[in-house]
Amino acid sequence: MDALSNSNHRLFMAALAMCLPPSSIIVSQESQRPFECDGLAVYHQLPMVTVLPETLGQVQEVLRLCSEHGVPLVPRGAGTGLCAGAMPHAHGVLLVMTKFDQILLIDQDTATARVQPGVRNLALSEAAAPLGLYYAPDPSSQIACTIGGNVAENSGGVHCLKYGLTVNNLLQVTIVTVTGELVTFGGDGLDEPSMDLLSLVTGSEGLLGVVVEIKVKLLPRAPRVQVLMAAFDNVISAGDAVAALIGQGIIPAGLEMMDHLAIKAAEDFVKVGYPTDAQALLICELDGTDAEVEEQLAAVSLCFSDHGSYQIRVAKDAQEAAALWQGRKSAFPAVGSISPDYYCMDGTIPRGQVAHVLTRISELSQHYGLAVANVFHAGDGNLHPLILFDASIEGQLDQAEALGGDILTLCVDVGGTITGEHGVGLEKMPQMPYQFGDAELAQFRRLKAAFDPSDLLNPGKGIPTLKYCQEYRSLQHA
Amino acid sequence: MHDLTPQLVEQVQQARAEQTPLQIVGGNSKSHLGRATQAQPINVAGHSGIISYNPTELVIRARAGTTIQELESVLAEKQQRLPFEPPQYQGLATIGGTVAANQSGPARPWFGAVKDSLLGLGLINGYGEAMLFGGQVMKNVAGFDVTRLQTGAMGGLGLITEVSIKVLPQFNVNKTLVCELNLQAALKQMQVWGNLSVPLSGMCYWQNKLYVRLQGSVAGVEETCKVFCKALPLVVLEDELAQNFWKKVTERELLVAQEKQIMWRWSGPSSAPSNALDNTEFINWAGSERWALTTVSDATVVNPHVTQYRGGDRSHNVNPSINAHDQALQQRIKHAFDPDGLFNVGRLYSWL
Repeated sequence: MDALSNSNHRLFMAALAMCLPPSSIIVSQESQRPFECDGLAVYHQLPMVTVLPETLGQVQEVLRLCSEHGVPLVPRGAGTGLCAGAMPHAHGVLLVMTKFDQILLIDQDTATARVQPGVRNLALSEAAAPLGLYYAPDPSSQIACTIGGNVAENSGGVHCLKYGLTVNNLLQVTIVTVTGELVTFGGDGLDEPSMDLLSLVTGSEGLLGVVVEIKVKLLPRAPRVQVLMAAFDNVISAGDAVAALIGQGIIPAGLEMMDHLAIKAAEDFVKVGYPTDAQALLICELDGTDAEVEEQLAAVSLCFSDHGSYQIRVAKDAQEAAALWQGRKSAFPAVGSISPDYYCMDGTIPRGQVAHVLTRISELSQHYGLAVANVFHAGDGNLHPLILFDASIEGQLDQAEALGGDILTLCVDVGGTITGEHGVGLEKMPQMPYQFGDAELAQFRRLKAAFDPSDLLNPGKGIPTLKYCQEYRSLQHA
Repeated sequence: MHDLTPQLVEQVQQARAEQTPLQIVGGNSKSHLGRATQAQPINVAGHSGIISYNPTELVIRARAGTTIQELESVLAEKQQRLPFEPPQYQGLATIGGTVAANQSGPARPWFGAVKDSLLGLGLINGYGEAMLFGGQVMKNVAGFDVTRLQTGAMGGLGLITEVSIKVLPQFNVNKTLVCELNLQAALKQMQVWGNLSVPLSGMCYWQNKLYVRLQGSVAGVEETCKVFCKALPLVVLEDELAQNFWKKVTERELLVAQEKQIMWRWSGPSSAPSNALDNTEFINWAGSERWALTTVSDATVVNPHVTQYRGGDRSHNVNPSINAHDQALQQRIKHAFDPDGLFNVGRLYSWL
């Protein structure tokens, strides 16, 4: 998409100034710098203009103006995303929704909450805590990420094994369409006599509309939560233990795995007492009534020791449980502290393929000469290989991206997907034609056009054009 | 037990060439749902069979014509179940139809609807292209969620060819508790208990009685049973009676519409007052789903929560009316999948 001509640019900026207060418009390069990327900082771009509206009417007006002038628009929450989905468009508007940070209602009777999109994920659970309720999806970035962003990305987290992703915890979402209209999907009840538009818009990465209000389901805090950690001397046994546990019909609230490199990095970083000689660590959270947890705890411990765990530690109290989780939740920054840069991948595979895929990742790591630390949601088969590299060494970023690409195609080859919870954004566009055929991609494009015929909402992300795919395939065959 | 995808694709392409609208038919068990429409049937029942089932992965993949009965019996051999507890409709209901009509049973508030267990599906669009969306893994956010979009679409966006579903282990123990209670008190009690973290899988109100189903681990059910029995004079329903009762709830056989009667379904917040639906006779889903019978039809359904579920004049709209802007959006989505208007035209809404 081309830049506006000078005169059109002046007209557009004047119109923008009519509908937004001066404090909501940022044009200087210096002030826009913090907005040039999301959590995947290797992709960055300054927008034409950044706006931070304060009212719904202003959001609608900004979208109407963009439609009228043919200006691309990229919505952004807290910018914690990991796929460059919120990277600005050079000739477009960056619409920052962080000022919409109000929890509108927490209804104890129905265990639901109505929130604005800029409400932080953790802030909602904190606000619901006095009522004994919480919001289940908990991405690692939950301290900073917003519910609006979670809807756009269909975010997961460590507890989605039992309680589902964002899509499984929503009742209603209101969006502003590209023409500035308000549309609400879902309702007050548990279903609607309609095609499931609420699910369609969830995870649509800002390509179909801008999320302006969300109604979520809250869950009751379980009377008892128990966390345990199990150490293994090889990753294969740990992977097998995970498959065996789920196969037995035990669904923990969370079941996470870290490999040797990640364990060491996390322990050095937060010192929570992880055994640094372990080749693999499982962290398992059980919740329910006292009796349920007691019964499961025995079964889980038996399963892990049967599969070769040489050390099982059951957290004695909430403080120790929090420490065990802290190590896992700090794994990304911990790896960041042992390497100048790291690149986080997000493939999902069938659980039974974990051992095979980890072996293959280790071979790829040797082939490229770049270390890979593995941290992942083992219960879901959702891998987060962290590729360690140094961007200041020429060619290493390219090598890291190539290795990452190979890991993602490996995930597709074993029956999985290129992204489990981070989204496609700009980052995984090259792998989309590997996972989907032309018919599916064309269907996605037509669906996009049903909402946004001029391709103004977050263009160039999420769904590649057929031209892009043809170029990708000819490169692969070259 | 055949893969008839090529034949189905051919039939759709032919229908497109001849501009012949199609009516998708699986087990023909849900012809009473949606609006009455006429079109050339395209039969999916023969396109059946389980494509893959790996119990340790908790995933089953089956062709659309596979019956719920077959799926549940295959899962039962490995002590597993479909989490959303769909009706079997005398063994006729297929998984394709169940997804299209969004059919969930009494466990829905605790174990989710069809969409919550749906991992992926195959779809033939109006261009006659066989496509695959989603997959067999637990988390997948690549591309738009075309998979879940199909739930409740009543086949209007294409012909579902196959479905991949997340399954769960069967419960170790079942227990149903019953007591007489007035409507107001029952609604309040269902709401309070429905929001607890306990092994509930059903709560409904029928003929002045509150029914509570507990399912889960032996210890968890026993513990909860004790707590609930302290609050209300509940008695344990005999196993066979309990099974029959919940089977009737699942199969929508509890409340039976006589000739010329209309069955109304209300789906809304559990906190709604007892008079949210006139003539309420049965309350399911802890108050979130309510059912009524009347003998007179309303000309158009305007209450946003109410559907004319069964019976009455089905030539007009049986689902709540929606505004013009939302209608136009749904029409554009339909057009994106089915530009020539081949699939189940007018089944969900007269204008779709």
